[in-house]
Parts: sequence; structure tokens; C-alpha cells
Amino acid sequence: MKIAAKRIAENLLFAADIFILFLVLFESKMTIPAWLQSVGRMHPMFVHFPIVILLLAMGMEFFRFNSDYIKESFYRHFTTALLLVGALAAAITVIMGLLLSNESAYTGSSVDWHKWMGISIVSIASLVYWNRNAEWYKAPIAKSVAVIAVICVIVAGYLGAGITHGEDFISSPLLALHATERVPVDKAVIYTDVVQPIFTRKCMSCHNSGKAKGGLILDNPVDILKGGKIGKLFIAGQADSSLIIERIFLPEEEKKHMPLTGRPQLTKDEMDIIYRWIQSGADFKKKLIELPENDSLRLTASKFLVPPEEEKYDFAAADEKTVRALSNNYRVVYSVAKESPALVVDFYNRNQFSSKSLADLLPVKKQIVELNLNRMPVEDGDLKVVSQFENLRLLSLNFTHVTGSGLVQILGLKYLKSLSLSGTKMDHSSFPAIGNIKSLRKVILWNTGLKGEEIAQLRKANKNIRFIEGFRQDAPMQLNPPILLTTNSVFTDTIHVLLKHQIPGIQMRYTLDGTNPDSIHSPVFNNDVVIDKSTLFKARAFKTTWLGSDSVEQHFYKSTYKPDSILFISFPDDSYKGDGAEMLSDHITGDLNFGDGKWLGFQKDMEVLLQFLKPVKIHSVCLHMLKNSGSDIYPPQQVQVWGGGDKTHLRLLQMIKPVAAVKGDTPSIFLEECKFPATRISYIKIIAVSVKKSPKWGNSPNKPGWVFTDEVLLN
Amino acid sequence: MQKQIIENHLSINRRKFLTRMSLGLGSVALGSLLIPDLFSGSPEDDAASFMAGVPHFAPRAKRVIYLFQNGAPSQLESFDFKPRLREMEGMDLPASVRMGQRLTGMSSDQAHFPLAGSLFDFKQYGKSQAWVSDLFPHTAKIVDDICIIKTMFTEAINHDPALTFFQTGAQQGNLPSFGSWMSYGLGSENKNLPAFCVLLSRGKGNGQGVYSKLWSNGFLDSIYQGVQFSSGDNPVLYLNDHNGIDKQSRRKMLDKLAELNDLSYKEFGDPEISTKIKQYEMAYRMQTAVPDITDVSKEPDDIVKMYGPDCLLPGTYAANCLLARKLSENGVRFVQLYHQGWDQHANLPKEMPGQAMDVDQASAALVTDLKQRGLLDETLVIWGGEFGRTNYSQGKLTKDNYGRDHHPRCFSIWMAGGGIKPGIVYGETDDFGYNIVRDPVHVHDFHATCLHLLGLNHEKLTFKSQGRRYRLTDTSGKVVDRIIA
Repeated sequence: MKIAAKRIAENLLFAADIFILFLVLFESKMTIPAWLQSVGRMHPMFVHFPIVILLLAMGMEFFRFNSDYIKESFYRHFTTALLLVGALAAAITVIMGLLLSNESAYTGSSVDWHKWMGISIVSIASLVYWNRNAEWYKAPIAKSVAVIAVICVIVAGYLGAGITHGEDFISSPLLALHATERVPVDKAVIYTDVVQPIFTRKCMSCHNSGKAKGGLILDNPVDILKGGKIGKLFIAGQADSSLIIERIFLPEEEKKHMPLTGRPQLTKDEMDIIYRWIQSGADFKKKLIELPENDSLRLTASKFLVPPEEEKYDFAAADEKTVRALSNNYRVVYSVAKESPALVVDFYNRNQFSSKSLADLLPVKKQIVELNLNRMPVEDGDLKVVSQFENLRLLSLNFTHVTGSGLVQILGLKYLKSLSLSGTKMDHSSFPAIGNIKSLRKVILWNTGLKGEEIAQLRKANKNIRFIEGFRQDAPMQLNPPILLTTNSVFTDTIHVLLKHQIPGIQMRYTLDGTNPDSIHSPVFNNDVVIDKSTLFKARAFKTTWLGSDSVEQHFYKSTYKPDSILFISFPDDSYKGDGAEMLSDHITGDLNFGDGKWLGFQKDMEVLLQFLKPVKIHSVCLHMLKNSGSDIYPPQQVQVWGGGDKTHLRLLQMIKPVAAVKGDTPSIFLEECKFPATRISYIKIIAVSVKKSPKWGNSPNKPGWVFTDEVLLN
Repeated sequence: MQKQIIENHLSINRRKFLTRMSLGLGSVALGSLLIPDLFSGSPEDDAASFMAGVPHFAPRAKRVIYLFQNGAPSQLESFDFKPRLREMEGMDLPASVRMGQRLTGMSSDQAHFPLAGSLFDFKQYGKSQAWVSDLFPHTAKIVDDICIIKTMFTEAINHDPALTFFQTGAQQGNLPSFGSWMSYGLGSENKNLPAFCVLLSRGKGNGQGVYSKLWSNGFLDSIYQGVQFSSGDNPVLYLNDHNGIDKQSRRKMLDKLAELNDLSYKEFGDPEISTKIKQYEMAYRMQTAVPDITDVSKEPDDIVKMYGPDCLLPGTYAANCLLARKLSENGVRFVQLYHQGWDQHANLPKEMPGQAMDVDQASAALVTDLKQRGLLDETLVIWGGEFGRTNYSQGKLTKDNYGRDHHPRCFSIWMAGGGIKPGIVYGETDDFGYNIVRDPVHVHDFHATCLHLLGLNHEKLTFKSQGRRYRLTDTSGKVVDRIIA
């Protein structure tokens, strides 16, 4: 090569390298003019030069330090020239590629990888070219760099082929199943796209036309129907007596089980598909969407398929300004997607709706594909406007005023797929011949005048349409119990019981004698129940067409006297101290949840002092208590009640020994009452002696138990 | 000689340096011709290139109702039937199955990991023959309308990070919520209601908290944050006018306020000011829209029966499901429910039936109700928790009692409507219900799929904050196209 030409080429290579660097850095900000796009598009053609030249150059570079070649001046010069031309060609190709990748069609990880591979190739080739005469550049470096460069060229080429010819273009003949796996649901043929791929994946390594183990070939319908040496593979429509089904459903340990042990086995879904395909008649042509939407075979088979492609519309987009002007807070007009001409219209707020607001849409009548008029006061006459929206796919008229006779007007909508009529006054006599809309797939008829058997008739007459009826109740449902509004459960004189229930039209009945209220004899509750003695109150709710509720139960306790103050002598545990000693006469009781702040808990003896400013005559002191052996809460061993007129001179009025907890007790609330002859007193001291050693069967044997109480009743 | 060689090198380099520099600069100059606005000083920003409110491609779903089961319901007592665990009841979890999975502090000090089978029976239902436990009789009736994914997995093993991961795509918090991303991407449908609403309820089981950071807008405009509806007389706090203030004076006040805000917007140019104006306006319109929607008293008796009588008790899960349907059919893009109380570390057989009872009927009713209104096709309903539960018992395993610790490697959720294939069970776990055998779905994949159904490309739905672009799916996520109808 002449020196001048070489120098120009070298300079060009350098300039190209810098240019590439620049392009890579500012790629996202570039806009490529049309003429340059054409240059970019020559990338797939030009790319072949550097591939060939660089492969050869790198091959020669690999052997360059070989003692035979090192002396050959032709070898030296030719390698240098090849490298230079190769690097330059690669640089130009990369520039073209970068220009091309700016076009929006090229995205995804394989494009990125291809790009960086290409850039690596140029960098390696350039670096080799600039440094190959340096002193440190010896045979091992030359060899490894050459190998790396060759690998890069191969990988970049492989990825590039994938980008232009589709992913896995080169490897797909090796992985035949991949080609069949990405079929959209709406195009799939059951045999070709679902059943055959299972055979290909799991059976054809033995049963192919080359090997044909057992005389069976599974790669085409003719051979599949022929069967193997033993006989036919299946009887269409009779899966249970088919050979293939017997073989694949045998336990894996059985000798005759297929596929053979050690080979990839059929999954449950695959077995299910083969079974159902044979059972349904083993049709080789049938499309998946010809099966009913909730068919088991369709459901399982669709797991192996990808979603249908997006619908393409062939009409032009409406003027953007018109669309914007039509959209307001109560009529929202928006396009289906970026760059899509199709429009969706939703109406909100029935007070803002008028026939005119619908007719206003006529300038975009071609573009509207979805119209939601739910709950708008739409009349039959308005459907004349709707009938002009010729490209409508979805129409929702739920809870509008339209009737069957109005609906006739929209039978000309030839693309309509889904029609919602829930909550309208449709009836059977005026319901139009909806089957005239050939494209229609779904009609929703919940809560209309059409009865179950009438819908069944429609279903029979229109096999392509799914009619949705909605919720049907199979068994009567139980009401929930009334809600007690009275929060106090302790009273001094009387207490007014208040209940509510959230369901309108309900009747509540109650009892005061502990029996369960019934719907006939028990008195009706009218918020007028006043209780004046300790009572177990029960109430239930009833309504026709419902089962009666469980009962709500509440004990109401009378406590005639309320102490003026209460003092702790021993203090409750920090975790269960509620709002303090006054809680014992706040007239509110707790439930089984001992941590709800309504209970006082002591892990020792409880001692409280009740004080009256004026002496009172008392004959009964009663503790409202909780037991829960699972949480070490036991009835006290002993309850002592002391009383007197002066707190330093109290005398024991009564002492009782409550029944101890036994194994298997469920958590419960109970009363411990100390009765004694009526006595005038100003002070009462109550001591509840806790269990010092929990029973052996308990949760914490031999540890001290707890005493829980929340109210003292004084009578 | 040596010196001359060195000098020669240097002299060549000097000359070369100048040539090369001019060449290099030339290349850069050439390249710069391709950048139209290089010197105009108007760098292209995300806001300009992103058309808010317009999907990238035709969406399958317009709205989402996310029934979040907070606390993590056990997959082994709901949708992932593992008879093997019953056969091996009480035996130790083999190390070959556990494969070094990190455990929470709550069971990591256990000497044994006794396998525990479900105490509740499973049956197959519907045309899809999906297995559902006896705890979910109503969900069992709608299996042909839903897609059960048995192979969800996550990275977090504790509630808050796991929940935050599901809600924001990152475990650390402070990023925009799923609902915020969606309303940022699609805009609001009904301008009289917020695009993103949040409803809370609580079961009797062991509970975990939820915090408002889960529905925060993060760095997105605050118009995209979730609005929490409460169960009292005022579902939306501070929405109603004060006593004695009529509509007209309210209007006047808002107009004046908007003028003032506009002035300060002109002065400072802070976009949050114009957001504020928009929000006041929306609140004004919400004053009429919200009472209408939150009033459930006019719902007919069969709707009440469908959701269960609890649906008329404000604050229950059933009531929230009914309200979610009403909000959704009125164009609210994203309704997020949380039902607390699913954290059964102990007493699972006693607590879980109550939790299931709370949600089963109303969840199924919601799907059926949307279907009978023709709305299921455009509404994506999601039911699931933040992770799964272990196949071994946390604490003592007895004949009728056990607990389960947190398990991230596999758990079950279901999705319905909005372009999801109905009536399929996706993915397979091993016989121990511990690892995924086939078709794993990562949280990022789940988000990518949901966004895809909404017509949004998860790689393109980005927002630049503090110098980097953020996505809901961070840097990964793959659309699971085999669950898309």
C-alpha cells in the first residue's frame, strides 16, 4: 500500500473512532435527516465487508509471531493492510448501524447488545492496529486479542441476524418448539398450535419419521391417525378407551408409561389438553376461538398461547381540536392510545346529560369505538344518534331508559362486539333480533325484564353470543345480628336499650328471659325497652327472603350504689391498668378480649378500697370477672369483703371461695357475689386472692396466676 | 541512537497530535450537526415527550381494583394445594428444599422446621378444575372468571418492605405508589373524582399496620396521590362546607383564591401551585359527586345479599368492596383496598377462617358484580398479599394448631378481568409448596404485566427525579403474556 493512501486511511479510522464515540454519547438527542437514514439502512449490506476482512485479518494476526511468517514481508504488509481496512470498514458499519438504530423500530436488549458488540469490534481492531508494533505486544497478546475479536464478530453477527430476521433466526431450526409457542389466542388452531407442539416437545425425539419407535410417528396428522404397531393411537371422542391416554396416565414407575422414565414428562396441563382434545373429537382444523369461551380445553390451551394482536382501525383520526373541544368534565372524549384514531366517550353525572350532549358527538361519529352511557337518562330516540357511530365496538347502556323497541335502531352497527343492557326495561316481546349484528359476542342482561328461560332461548338462537345474566342466589342468606348501641351494661335504676341494623326494612325481636328470640312470639323491638333489674338481653333480626340472624346478647347488671371514690391498695400490672381504679364503677364492662383496656389485671392479690361520702346500706358486693386459663387468668382463690364506717376499723363482712378453674375450661366472664346481712357502711375493702401456683395442666405450671376484673356491683 | 529513536517518536507524536486533534474535532463537529437543539438551550425533558393521560397502546383495562390482603394470607390454606405436606406432617423441612433461604427473626432460632399440612380441605371447582380450599367457598364459585397465579415471589421477608415493594416497586419507600404511577400514565377518567382512592378495613386476625406512604405520590405531582376514604359520616375529610357557607360563597372564595394562586404562580413558577388550583377545583366538584357515590342505602336487596349483609356496615371489607365497585364504575382509575389481619404466625387454624370469611364473599361478589355490569372486561381486579407463608410450623405443631412464618419464594394471588385470561391456574410450585418449579412471576413482572394491561409500556413510563429516570419496575420486569387473554 502506498504511504499516502495508508496515511489517509489511518486518519479516517481515527476520525471515525471519535465520531462513533460522539454518536454513542449523544445518541438520545440526535435527529437523523432523511438522506442519512438511507445511509443508515445500508448497514445490513455493508456489514458483510468488515466481517470477512476482519475474520481474515484476525486469523493472520493470530499467527503473526509464528517464526515462519515473521520474516515474510508480504505476510507482514498484507496483515497490516487488512487490519486497517477491516477496522475502517467496521467503523463505517458501526456508524451506519448507530444511525439506523435511531429509527424507532429498533429497540430491545438484543439491539443494545448488538450495538455494544459492534462498538467493541471497532475498538479492538483500532487498538490492535495502533499498538501492534509496541514492544509489549507479543504473541500471547496477539493471539488472545484475535480470539476475542473473532468471538465478538460471531456474537454481533448472530444478534444482527436476529434483529433483521426475527429473534433466534439462526437457532430456531434447532429449537423447533419456539417457533410454535408465540401464537396469538385468536389465531391458534388447536391441533397445530397446541397439541402438535406438545408432541414435538415431549414425544418426537423417539416417535419421529426417522426413528419411529413402535412404528409410531407423531409429526403429522396422517401418521398420527395411523397409529403404531399395537394399533390406533386413539378413538376420537372416546378418550378413556384410547391407547395414548392409557399410556400417558399410567404411573411413571410402570414400564409402559409414556414418555419413558428419565425423559421429560408431560405436565398435568399437557396431559389434560391431549385428553380433552381427543374427547372433543380430535379435530385437526378447529380453531381455539370456535370453542365456547369457558370450555375447559380452551381455558387450558390458552395458557400456552400469547394475547391477540391489537386491533387496527382503518379510519382516519379526527381533528385534535374538535376532540379537545368536545371533552369536558361530564363528557370525556379520549383516544384509545397514542397514535390511534379511535376514540372512547364516557358520560358522567346524569344531571348534566341531554340529548344534545350526545348529538354534539356527530363530528367524530366515525372515530368513536366505545361509548359509555351508564346511568344517563338516555331515551329510545337518542339511539338514532348512536346508530350513526358506525365503528362502535362497545356500547354500555346500563340503567338507561332505553327499551327493546329503541334498540332496533342500532342493529346496523356492523362492528359492535359488546352490548351492556343491565338494569334496563328490556323485555322478551320487544327484544330485537340481536343476532343480526354478526360481530356481536357479548350481551349483558342482568337485572332486566328478561327471565331466565327467555335468556336461555336467546342463547340457543345465538350460539356466537355470550349472554350474561349475573348473580343468582343459590341458598338463602343469613342476616347479621343487630348492633347494640347502648354502651353501658351496668346501671343504677333503669337502662334504655338501643339497637340498630344497617339493612333497611328489617324487623328486630328480643327476649329478656335468656331464651332465643323467634320470629313469631318474641316481642318486636321498637327502641322502647327499658330494663330495671339484672337481665340477659337477647335480640335477633328478621326479614323476608333472608334467614334470621344470630342473636346479639348482653347482660345488664344493676348496681344501686356508686362509690364516690375508689383507691388501689395493691396496684394492677402496668399493661392492664386501664384508666385506673375508677373503672370499677364506670358502668362499662369488657368482653373476652382482656387487653382492650376495659379490664384491670393483677398478677398478685387485688386490694381496693371503695369510699362513700354518705354511708349506704349494702347487702351484696359482686365482682365482674374474667377467666382464661390459656393466658394464666384464673378465678381468685378467695374473695374477702371488709366494711365499716371508718377505714382504719373495717370488719370482715363476707369471705367466699370461688370454684377453681378446671382443665378444658373455655375463656368466660363470670360473677363472684358476696352476700351478707344489710349493713350501713362508708368504706368497703375488697380483696381477691390470686392463684399463687397455676395448675399443672395450665400454660405456665406453678407460676403465679392472674386476677382480672372490671366492675364492682353494689346492692 | 536510542535518543534519536525517542525523539523521532516524540516528533511524530507532536505532528500527529495536531493532525489528530483537528480530525477529532472535525468528527465531533460533523456529529453535532445531527443534534438540532445543541445550542438552542432547550433540552428535551420528560414532561414534554410524555403525553400524560394517553396510553402507549390500546389498553385492555381502564381501571384497577386492588384487594390487598395485608399481613400475607397463607397460600397453603387458600389456593396452593399440597397433599404431600399432610403425608409428611411433622417431619423436618429438608435442607435440600430450603436451600439456605433466609428466615425472619421469628423462626430462625427454631431447632426444627416441622412440615404442616393444611387443616382445611381442598376441592376442585369449575371448568378450570382449580383447587380451592374450603375457606373460600365463594371464590371457588368464580374460579372460571379468575386467573390464579401460584408462583408469585418477592425479595422481602418482612411486612413493611414487602408491602412497600408491592405498592411502589421498591422496598425502601418514598417512591410513587402503583396507583400514582397509573394515574400519572393514564390521567383521570372522571374529573369529578380523584383518580386514586384508598379504602381500609381490618379483620380480627393478627394485624400489621398500613401507612399513608403506601399511597404517596413520591416525586410525582401531588395530584396523583391516593385519597383515603374513611368510614365515618364524612368519607372524605374536610370536603364538606362549614355550616353557614353556601355554594355560591364557596365558589366566590375559590375564584378569588385561584386568582391569588395564579399571581404567585406567575411570580415563582412552581408547578405545585397550579396543582393546588386544580385540586381545589376538583374538591369543589367532589362535593356533589362523593355523597352520591358513598351512599349505599339505595343498593337493592340482591346486591346486599351478593356482597353479604356486612356491606352496609361502613368500614368493613364488604362495604369497601361495594364502594370500590361504585367508585370504579364512576371512573376512578385505581381503587386500593387494604384488609388487615392476615399475619398468622400462630393459631392459624383459628384465625384464618375469620379472615377468609371477612373477604371471601365480597371479593367474589365484586367480580360477579362487575361482570354483570359489563365492566369486568375493562376493570382489573387483583387479590393478594405481600408474600406467602412457610410450609413448616412456626412454634409448636399440634394436631389442630400451628402457625406459619413469612415466606417470599412462592405465594398465590388471583387476578380477574381487564384482559386477564379467565379460568386458568398459572405456574407450578414443588410438592412442598416451598419453591417454584415453573413460570415464576416476580413483583416487577407483576407490575409490568398490570401496566401492560393498562396500555402502558413499563419501560417507557418514566419520570426524571434528582438526575435519574425512575420506573415502577426499576430496571427489570417482564410482561407475563401467557396470562393475558
